Amino acid sequence: MDELKNRIKEMIVTALELEDVTAADIVEDAPLFGESERGLGLDSIDALELGIAIKENFGVSFSAANEDTKKHFYSFDTLAAYISANMPK
Amino acid sequence: MKSVAGKVVFAALSVLYPVLVFCGLEFWGLSPRRLSLMLIGLAFVHFFNVTRERAKDAEGTGRANVVKNISLLVLMLMCGALAFFADNILFLKFYPVMVNLSLLCFFAFTLWKKPSFAFRMANLGDKTLRVSPERPFVERYCDRVTMVWCAFFVVNASVALATALVGSERMWTLYNGLISYILIGILSAVEFMVRKIMQNKLHSYVPVCELLRDSRPDGAVVCFDGESVRTWADFVSDVSKVRRFLESSEKRPWILHCEDSYFFIVALLSMLQSGRKAMVTANRQEAFIKEIKKPEYGFITDTPFGDASAGAIQIQDILAGPAVEPLWNAFDKNAAEMVMFTSGTTGEPKSVPKRFSQFENELYELVKVFGDDWLGRKVYSTVNHHHIYGLLFTVLLPTATGLPFRRHRIDYPSELVSIAGEKAVIASSPAYLKRLAADTDKPIDFKYTPIIYSSGGPLPEEVARKCEGITGYWTMEIYGSTETGGIAYRQSKNGPVWKPFEVCKMSIGENDCLNVKSSYILEPEGFTTGDLVEIYDDGRFLLKGRADSIVKIEEKRISLPEVENRLKQTGLVQDVRVVPMVGNRQYLAAAIVLNAEGREKFKDQPKLEINNFFKKHLAQFIENTVSPKKWRYLEELPQDTQGKIKMRDIQALFGIPESPNFKILKMRREPGMVTLKLVFPETSDFYNGHFPSFKLLPAVAQVDMTVMLAQALLGTPDTVARIQRTKFSYPILPNVPAILEMTYKAETSKLSFSYTLEEGRPLSGGTLVFSGDENA
Repeated sequence: MDELKNRIKEMIVTALELEDVTAADIVEDAPLFGESERGLGLDSIDALELGIAIKENFGVSFSAANEDTKKHFYSFDTLAAYISANMPK
Repeated sequence: MKSVAGKVVFAALSVLYPVLVFCGLEFWGLSPRRLSLMLIGLAFVHFFNVTRERAKDAEGTGRANVVKNISLLVLMLMCGALAFFADNILFLKFYPVMVNLSLLCFFAFTLWKKPSFAFRMANLGDKTLRVSPERPFVERYCDRVTMVWCAFFVVNASVALATALVGSERMWTLYNGLISYILIGILSAVEFMVRKIMQNKLHSYVPVCELLRDSRPDGAVVCFDGESVRTWADFVSDVSKVRRFLESSEKRPWILHCEDSYFFIVALLSMLQSGRKAMVTANRQEAFIKEIKKPEYGFITDTPFGDASAGAIQIQDILAGPAVEPLWNAFDKNAAEMVMFTSGTTGEPKSVPKRFSQFENELYELVKVFGDDWLGRKVYSTVNHHHIYGLLFTVLLPTATGLPFRRHRIDYPSELVSIAGEKAVIASSPAYLKRLAADTDKPIDFKYTPIIYSSGGPLPEEVARKCEGITGYWTMEIYGSTETGGIAYRQSKNGPVWKPFEVCKMSIGENDCLNVKSSYILEPEGFTTGDLVEIYDDGRFLLKGRADSIVKIEEKRISLPEVENRLKQTGLVQDVRVVPMVGNRQYLAAAIVLNAEGREKFKDQPKLEINNFFKKHLAQFIENTVSPKKWRYLEELPQDTQGKIKMRDIQALFGIPESPNFKILKMRREPGMVTLKLVFPETSDFYNGHFPSFKLLPAVAQVDMTVMLAQALLGTPDTVARIQRTKFSYPILPNVPAILEMTYKAETSKLSFSYTLEEGRPLSGGTLVFSGDENA
């Protein structure tokens, strides 16, 4: 699981072209989106980018209409859990 | 002494003459015969004065005086004799007529044999008048005053004659003994007032195209440089030499680049008078000159430089030649052509064709608005006269108004002290004034408050305020562009609103941008600027930023100045630019220069923390999507050597990925060249594995950095073929800033680079030759 988490973190930094943030800086239980003390402060465009990157890297896709999608994207932890559960074996 | 006493007696008797004659007849019962002795006596006093005077003063007004004195003497003796023998009062009454006629002769004579009497008087009061550029005007004015007096004497003599012939004694006395004196008093007072009003106006203005060889006195100072000056006579002689040269050559048009303002105006005026189109360029980069110069073009300069100036004529060589017959004439401002080059805000050099009438009409407007403030001043410059504002204010205006100008620019704020004793007009720019405000902590003790103009970009209100504290003058800003010329002016102490020049008609054009029509814009539809504007009913207007300052980030409109202003609101930011970027997505990036408070607050904080502080502040006002995603904290914003900040340069800076291994603190860019201030923290990976106990930046890392930065900023090819002449003379140490200068010549694919310490000590340098295949 730790290895997967690290891969996801690296993917976030690369896909979103984050600057001044390394994989180690990502706080796992902080909200990914919107303003928060410890979070990344991502926006809706980042969400789209992230969705595409996850599909490319892990073969996991999201349904835009699905209310649950928001829940999965809440924090790094929720996202990692969703990816881990839905990755093709 | 005796002659002065004689004059006083003569003047007093002359003035009292009508009253004395009247009293003699009416009260003292004297016969005309007896009274005639007074007139004869007066004639003798006059004769005595005249002979004295002639012995003393043979020159000056001498000849006119002789005419006046002899005629007056003859008439006086004649009338006196007639009155005596005929015992008739009539002849005595002719005396005032005679005085008027003799004065008329005298004044008229000086009009015929110049200078006129009034001008001689003016010269006594002001010895410098002879070489003043105002002289032609003053002379004309004085001639008119002399003419008015002549007319007055004609009228006065006629009325005096009429009172003598047909009036009663009482009326004759009343007019000649009182009324005519009152009239003389009134006329003098009116002339005095008119003169005072005229003296406060600038009159030496002559349109440049109408200047004639004798428009200024030969000795009038055209320009100065320390103690040495060039006079009008020198100017005419130098223009004649350059014109002879131009007219003996087939080449045209002429490219013109002269650092010295005097050489510049000599060359420019010669081209205009000789009907040669002048292409004025500040940029003398080899590649640029090659781009604009065709084989049939001439090129004149005062500072030869490298290959670009091969085949250029050096103006000093022409001027060093023997004197030639004067060659000077007025020219047609509508036919005379020029070309200017502007870099604009986007960066690409662009040529702007001009007719000289455009400048001439603008000069007329500038003189109308500001001219009277310039009386008796000298012109100084901190700006380049190859650009429109410098051309108008520092070269053409002095030429048109006859104000002396300094041949060389003031480059450093510290130099300003050296002109504190002068009455100065200073044409400056925000780049200079910002440095003046930052580098000067004490007011400069100007003997006369200077007049300071600024143009080229907005001058921040706080800079204008500081400069007022230093110089005593609140800078007059001029808003305009190469295409439009001057549009409006303001002093920001009166608010941010601009007052247009009277000839400029404002309207809102395409994309809500300002459209200007004026007598110095040739296109009838006017010119639409890139500036957003709000126009008030009285014609004044407010600028609302550049139109290209409104961008769309993922379909969301955002004004870049708004984000910048919100960041400034924190009170921690000295300067900031926000630019749109495109990567996987569109986003904004912010380049920030922290002020003292900001540097203190964020001391030793990781960059991410600083980013988050500003993001959090912005989140109160703007959506997350348009909040900047990338941040750079610099010592100054990227700019060119003119101090112009271009979006392109800032975007190029963000094109270099942020790295923990090095930091860019400053960047200055111009075509083919870039200068960076870099620092390598001790945590940098570059030091790994070299000398663990003594960290210094390996040569390979220096070359690697150079290649990476040259690719990002100068667009060099990917592969380095050879490294030439490299030298590593002194180590680059952790946290000690180094200046990297890189110059790239695309023709040879060669990049020369050097690392130096800030104070100039060379660290390393060399030449990289890139693989030519990339270019093929």
